Amino acid sequence: MKNNILVIGGGPAGMEASAALSRMGYNVILAEKEKSLGGHLAKWDRLFPDQIPAKQVLDSLLEGIKDVKCFTETDVNSINLLDRSYNAMLSNGITILADAVLLASGFDLFKAEKKEEYGYGIYEGVLTNADLEKAFKEGKTFSPAPMAIGFVHCVGSRDEKAGNPACSKVCCATAVKQAIETKELYPDANVYCFYMDLRMFGRHYEDLYLRAQKSGIRFIRGRVSEVSETADGRLLVKAEDTLSSKPLKVSLDRLVLMAGMRPSKAGRAVGHQLNLTTEEDGFFSSADNLLSIQRSKLPGFFYAGACTGPKTLPDTLHEARSAAMEIDRYIKENFRK
Amino acid sequence: MISLITNTVHQITPEGIIDRYPNSYNHFVLPFVIGMTFILVYLLIGLIRILYHLSGEDRLKLLKSLINPKTAWKNIKDIFCDCLLHTKIWKRKPLLGYMHSAIAFGWFLLIIVGHIEVGLFAPRHLSGLTEGSLYYPIFYRFFIWMNPAHETLRGSVFFFLMDLILLYILSGIGLAMFKRVRSIALGMRHTTKPSLADRVALYCLWLIFPLRLLAEGFTADLSGGGFLTRPLNWVFRAFFGNELNFLPTWWAYSICLGLFFLAMPFSRYMHILTEPLLILFRNAGLKVRKPRKGFAEAEIYACSSCGLCLDACPMNTQKKNLKYSSVYFIRFLRRRNKKKVNEIADKCLMCGKCYALCPVGVNSPAIRRAIRETHNNSIKSDYSFMDTYAGSAENSDKKNKILYFAGCMSHLTPVIIKSVETLLKASGEDYEFMDRDKGICCGRPLMLAGRTDAARQTIQANTKIINDSGCSILLVSCPICLKIFKEEYSLKGIEVLHYTQLADRLIKDGKLKVSKSSSAIVYHDPCELGRGCGIYEEPRNVLKAVAELKKASKEKDESICCGYSLGTITLDEKDKAKIAESSVSSLMAENPDEIVTSCPLCYRAIRSKAEVPVKDFAEIICENIEKQ
Repeated sequence: MKNNILVIGGGPAGMEASAALSRMGYNVILAEKEKSLGGHLAKWDRLFPDQIPAKQVLDSLLEGIKDVKCFTETDVNSINLLDRSYNAMLSNGITILADAVLLASGFDLFKAEKKEEYGYGIYEGVLTNADLEKAFKEGKTFSPAPMAIGFVHCVGSRDEKAGNPACSKVCCATAVKQAIETKELYPDANVYCFYMDLRMFGRHYEDLYLRAQKSGIRFIRGRVSEVSETADGRLLVKAEDTLSSKPLKVSLDRLVLMAGMRPSKAGRAVGHQLNLTTEEDGFFSSADNLLSIQRSKLPGFFYAGACTGPKTLPDTLHEARSAAMEIDRYIKENFRK
Repeated sequence: MISLITNTVHQITPEGIIDRYPNSYNHFVLPFVIGMTFILVYLLIGLIRILYHLSGEDRLKLLKSLINPKTAWKNIKDIFCDCLLHTKIWKRKPLLGYMHSAIAFGWFLLIIVGHIEVGLFAPRHLSGLTEGSLYYPIFYRFFIWMNPAHETLRGSVFFFLMDLILLYILSGIGLAMFKRVRSIALGMRHTTKPSLADRVALYCLWLIFPLRLLAEGFTADLSGGGFLTRPLNWVFRAFFGNELNFLPTWWAYSICLGLFFLAMPFSRYMHILTEPLLILFRNAGLKVRKPRKGFAEAEIYACSSCGLCLDACPMNTQKKNLKYSSVYFIRFLRRRNKKKVNEIADKCLMCGKCYALCPVGVNSPAIRRAIRETHNNSIKSDYSFMDTYAGSAENSDKKNKILYFAGCMSHLTPVIIKSVETLLKASGEDYEFMDRDKGICCGRPLMLAGRTDAARQTIQANTKIINDSGCSILLVSCPICLKIFKEEYSLKGIEVLHYTQLADRLIKDGKLKVSKSSSAIVYHDPCELGRGCGIYEEPRNVLKAVAELKKASKEKDESICCGYSLGTITLDEKDKAKIAESSVSSLMAENPDEIVTSCPLCYRAIRSKAEVPVKDFAEIICENIEKQ
């Protein structure tokens, strides 16, 4: 008998875990709310640190789930724990009785318009990391070619006023990567990065940072305080340079906000139905933050990826594979005696 | 019955009233006389102390206001309405208002009518101290014997009146007792914790009037009585037989009165005597200068500790914040507990709701600011760089010119600046943007933090720029700036307007044409604009023209602070978020499609919590400007 496993969320975590579970011989059902699989990865152009095309990664992930039943544009309408299995009703009318559930609901990008002072949605020149990535992907360029572009790190991250004191982990490397790509696209433009700390912790990340410095990108340690519009429609950015302890004012053509990670709304809706607890940051709380991050406090309910906090893509993929192993162990202990 | 009357000189009045005691004295009056003397002496010393600590200028102001017939009339009216009738409480909570006025106005009537009665029937006891005028009118019924055969209509009217007034007071006392058990029935979720002196005075107050009823009931067959006391007398006679029982109840009545007066200066009930003084000071236009002396002392003693500020305070959505409420702040200040006072003074949004809803009108935000001034002002700052800033005096001919000052907070909410500029352009107004590029803070945040000297420096620098600009209207989009521009700046011939006021005026003048959308909106009153500057109607006039205006559950002067006020820096984000949530839930009472506010801070705070779109006042007008 093949045990049913329900995977909620068709991003990298959900796809990688589904692939592993289906290789182990389980009957995997993958539910994704969007039209297509891939999550945020599908919307990205190139990935740090090596600037590999995101499509290449997405294609190999899709290759792994050929045998998995995937329902796209499908929400989990209701889910409840029966005796020892989960009964889930999907929005496409299908009801699934699953012996284990993996939640891979990931993250939503912080809504940059909440940081009023940066003027996202008010000034045309202000965009987010996702907007820029979309432009790269579609091959769109700004015209006329911008003379000055700024990147603001930590938008909605490490910011108690924005309701998120935690670091989103990926924005520093993303900002540096995007700054390099922007500089490559517009070699004459001045590119600035406004940062608090640069958290270039991963392998090759520091190399990326060095490359950025060498290519002439200027790193300014300090937060942007406000953005206004000049008479000729450019952006006037006020910031503080904490290294020289001076206020700073610069006119830019584009300002890119590195929106951070917030818990996904869809994931929280599922958690709400099962009374799953979250930590103060809004992400789900694991059974143990060291020993069993993949386990929840409910039997047979597992987590993978950014639903338990911000993670890089490699972290997410590791978690997905280890969640598959945890699920396998759980099924063997509880259903195959 | 006649045997009870000591047979010395009886003065028989035409109404057949006879003094039962020689010199009209009995030992039981002593507790009352001691208490009364104590409170009178205490009051006199207190008054001298307060007047002594007023500045010479303030004393002169007070004197002038007392002579001025207009303020004198206002004084009388305010004292009558606030101290006796409690009209402020009536308006918001009728049952609670009835309770307060029954006790206060009833007691006042009892004293006045009692004195009139004595004046009519035993006038010699009102003249001079020798005939016991201090206590005689209070214990009148004890000292007299009335010949029932000679009862007149005039006398009966007073018997009836006195019993009616007593019944009125007793109904208030009954409600007060009920309130101790179930305050919510009278519209109060939280009530104050009484101190020891409060308790003593409270229980005495509860006992005074029932004891008076008992005492007068016992003597009703001798002194005569009304519809309450006479039937009570028949009942007592049926049960106790011997009329000699009555002396202990008169003792108890006198002791309760005496104890009440002794406990009064140390209890909340001091407000009964201090409130009239506060009204005189306030009507004279005095302001808090020192945190514990002079005017502030009058305010502190005028606090009735009623606890209406507990429900008013937006921080009290969380029970742990109850201890920071104005009522406890004033109590600690009265006890001179410096440590607590300093802590509580900082933990306040300065939204002014406790002041707006205070039945006595104790301006505790002003006292908190005065406290902050004593411990925050020692930090020295260097603002000398500001002198180098020159204003932008571009053109010389500037009649009817608007100078727009956006302020720091509007700069952090660019949508407001953008909308205000669109609005000005659409109505064809000539304007200059004072701080487009760089500007100086209006000084209000420094003022709120008690950094008065630093605030004065920014005020001075801004005043120069504004006066030099030659504008006739100073337009602001931030109520925080508005308040200080209005109150602390001396801008010659320049009208300071909030953008809600200007928009109202532009629409009325036909310069700005708007159309009405089908959207249902609710308006959030910012603290500094509403309670701070009294602007409630102008924004509503405009909003009614552009959308369907719904009501919030608490609005206008009861509006709940958004929580992100600049008044405090000691509240953490979580506390602020809780306050914002309660503010939003009040706004959502009638399920509007959108929330509109007219303050950059409120805009940010409400946007962070609301599920529906939140718009700035100017933004929603811009959406509905009629295209020509």
